[in-house]
Amino acid sequence: MKALLIAWKDTLTRLRDRKALVTLLAAPLIISALIGLAFGNINFGGSEAPVTDLAVILVNEDSGQLGQVYEEVLTSEALAELLDVTQMDDLDAARRQIEEGAARVVVHIPAGFSDQVLPEAPGASVGRATVQIYTDPTSTVAPLIVQSILEQISAGISTVNLAAQISAQQAGEYAAILGPQLAQLAQVLPEELSREKFDFETQRLILETSQVGEAQQEINAFAYFVPGMAVYFLMFSMFTGARSILDEENSGTLPRLMTTPTPLGQIILGKMGGTFLIGLLQFGILMLASRFIFQLSWGTSLPGLALIVILTVFAASGLGALLTTFTRNQLQANVIGSTVALVFGALGGSFFPMQGTTGILDVASKLTVNRWSMDALTKLTVQNAGFSEILTEATILAAIGLVTYLLAIPLFQRRFVK
Amino acid sequence: MSQIILSAQDLHKDFDKVQAVQGVSFDIQQGEIFSLLGPNGAGKTTTLSMLSCLLTPTKGDALIDGHSVRKQADKVKQVIGVVPQEIALYPDLTARENLTFWGRMYGMGGVELKGRIDAVLEIVGLSDRAKEKVETYSGGMKRRINIAVGLLHQPKILFMDEPTVGIDPQSRRRILDTVLDLNQKGLTVLYTTHYMEEAAELSQRIGIIDHGKLIALGTQAELTRMVGQFDTLHIGVDGDKIDKEQILKVVEKTKGVHRASFENGSMIVQAEDANAVLGDIVAHMNQAGARVLGLRMEEPNLEAVFLHLTGRALRD
Repeated sequence: MKALLIAWKDTLTRLRDRKALVTLLAAPLIISALIGLAFGNINFGGSEAPVTDLAVILVNEDSGQLGQVYEEVLTSEALAELLDVTQMDDLDAARRQIEEGAARVVVHIPAGFSDQVLPEAPGASVGRATVQIYTDPTSTVAPLIVQSILEQISAGISTVNLAAQISAQQAGEYAAILGPQLAQLAQVLPEELSREKFDFETQRLILETSQVGEAQQEINAFAYFVPGMAVYFLMFSMFTGARSILDEENSGTLPRLMTTPTPLGQIILGKMGGTFLIGLLQFGILMLASRFIFQLSWGTSLPGLALIVILTVFAASGLGALLTTFTRNQLQANVIGSTVALVFGALGGSFFPMQGTTGILDVASKLTVNRWSMDALTKLTVQNAGFSEILTEATILAAIGLVTYLLAIPLFQRRFVK
Repeated sequence: MSQIILSAQDLHKDFDKVQAVQGVSFDIQQGEIFSLLGPNGAGKTTTLSMLSCLLTPTKGDALIDGHSVRKQADKVKQVIGVVPQEIALYPDLTARENLTFWGRMYGMGGVELKGRIDAVLEIVGLSDRAKEKVETYSGGMKRRINIAVGLLHQPKILFMDEPTVGIDPQSRRRILDTVLDLNQKGLTVLYTTHYMEEAAELSQRIGIIDHGKLIALGTQAELTRMVGQFDTLHIGVDGDKIDKEQILKVVEKTKGVHRASFENGSMIVQAEDANAVLGDIVAHMNQAGARVLGLRMEEPNLEAVFLHLTGRALRD
C-alpha cells in the first residue's frame, strides 16, 4: 500500500531532521525536568525525598469522644514518622510556638466539640463544630498535609453521624407502615452506628495512612509533568506533521506525487499516517527516556497505557490535519497550530492539574485532547489504574480521532484537486 | 508518418477571473522533441499541468497515448514522466532513496526498480554520488536527479518544465545533451522554456505561447519565415531624460525600418538591412540627445519571431 510507503518516508525524513528531533524529544524532557525540579521533591536516585517529622501542636480542649478520636489519629503509630505531635493546653502559647518557628501547625479542637457533633438525644439537631488550624505562613507542605488528615477524620465523622440521623428519622417515619418492630430501629441504630464509628474511624485511619504514603508519591512532580509535557509537545509535533503536507505542496513534491499513479486519498492518508507514526515514536521514546532518566513509573497497566498513547496520537494527528485543512498557507498553519497547542496545553492540564476544575473552565478543558489524555495518564501513572478504568477517556479520544480524520481527508482532497 | 502520441484539443483553464490558458491545441508526434516557448506567465506550466492530470481543464481535452486526461487520468499517469520546474525531491534522503521512493510510487519494486535506478543514475551521470543526501548536491546535480525521477518508469513521453532554470552553464549544457541523447534513443519530449536558444537547439517543432494562447506553431525555419528577412538591432541607450516616443517616431520613419520599440533601456529595431539603416538611426538618436552605449545585431530568429508577433521581447 503506497500510503504506508509515504508514511514511512515521512517518518524517515523527520527523524533525520536534527532540529525536529530537539522539538520532538529533547525539549519535553528538559522542560519536564525544569518544572519538576521547581515544583517537586525531586531526586534522581529514584527514592522520594521524604516529608517527615512535621512539627504539629495539638490543643485538645474537647473532653468528649471526638476530641479523643482526633488525638488518637494524629498521635497514632501510623503517622509517627510523618508528624511530630506535641500536646499543649494553652492555645495562645501554642500559637506563639509557630511565631517562634518551633512548630509549623497548631490543631485546635475547641471545648464541647463532641457535644456539638454528637448530641445526647437521638434525632436532636446537630450543631456546627469547627476544628481550627493555625499555620506558619512560610510553610507550604506541612499545613496541606495536616489539613488533609483532619479533613479525612472530619469527613468520616460527618458521614457516620449523618447516616445515623437519617436512618433513625426514616425508621420513625415508616413505623406506621413497617410495624412496631422496625420502628424500634430508630432507637437502636444511632447507638449501633455510634459504636461502629470508632471502628470506622480506625478503618479510615488505615486508609488514610496509605493515602498519606501515596500523597507523598504525588509530590514527585515528574509523575505529572512528564506526561503533561509529552502530550503538550505531541500536539506541537502533530500540528507540524500535518503542516508538512503544505510544505510538500509548496516544494513541489506533492504535485509530483499527484502525477504518479497514486490515488490522492492514499497520498493524504500516507501523510497523516506519517504524522501518526512520528507521534507514536515520540511518545514511546519519551516514556522510555523518562523511565530510565527519572525512574518514572508509567503505571501497571501496559495495555491501558498503550491504548491511551495510541488514541492520544490518533486524536492529536487528526485534529492537526483538520486544522491544517482550514489554513491558507504554511505560515497560517504554523500560527494556528502553535496557538491551539498552547491553549490546549493550558486548558487541558499539561501545565497544571485540571481534574478539580468546575464550571466553564471544566467544560472548556474537556474540549481538549490534552484533558482526556491527561486524565487517563494520571489515572494510570499516579493512581495505578487498570485497563477498565480508562475506557471512558479512551472512547472519547477515539471519537475525536475518528471524526477529525473523516473530516480532514475529504477536505484535503477538495483542496488539492483543482 | 509518425504516430501522434499527444493531442491537445482546445485546452482552457480559468482561475477565478483569470483565463490562464485559452484554447491551446497542438499535436506531438512519437519520437519528437516539441517545445512550448514563451515568457514567464504565458501559460506553459498551466498547459503542462493539465497534460499531467494535475489540473482539470475548464474546457477541452487532451489525448495521451490514446487516453483522455479528463477521463483516464490513471492510464495517462502510467505513460507520462514529469520533470517539474521545482526540485521536487526530498533533501533529507539520498539520491538512491529518493529514486526508490518515487519508483515505488510508480508501482515498481525489487530487482526491476534497482536496475532502473542504476540505469537512470548512469544517464544523469550521478552513479558515484547516489548515496549522498540530495541536500548536499549542487543546483545542477539536483536538477539531474529531478530528471532521473521522471525517467524511472520508462515513460512514453517526458514532460520537462523549464529544467535548466537557475543553473550554471556547464550543468545546463549537460542537461541539454541528456535530453538530446534520450530523444535519439526514441523518447518523446515536451519541453517548456523561455530560453529561445534551448528551444531552437532541441526542438523539431516549437509552439510559441503568450497570454495563454498558442500564437505560432511550426519548425524553427517555418517560424522565422513568418518574420520575413528582418534583422534585429538592439541599441543600448543612455538617457533617462530623452523623449523616447519622439525618437521612436523618427526612427520608424527611417527608410528600411520595419518596427521600433524601447525595452529595458534598449531600443529594438527590426529592419530589412540593419547595416543600411544603422547610420541614420544613430544620427537621429544623437540629435535627440540620446547617447548610444552598445549595439547588437541579430539575423532572424525565434526572438525576432516573438517580437514580430507580440511587439515584446521574449525575456519579458
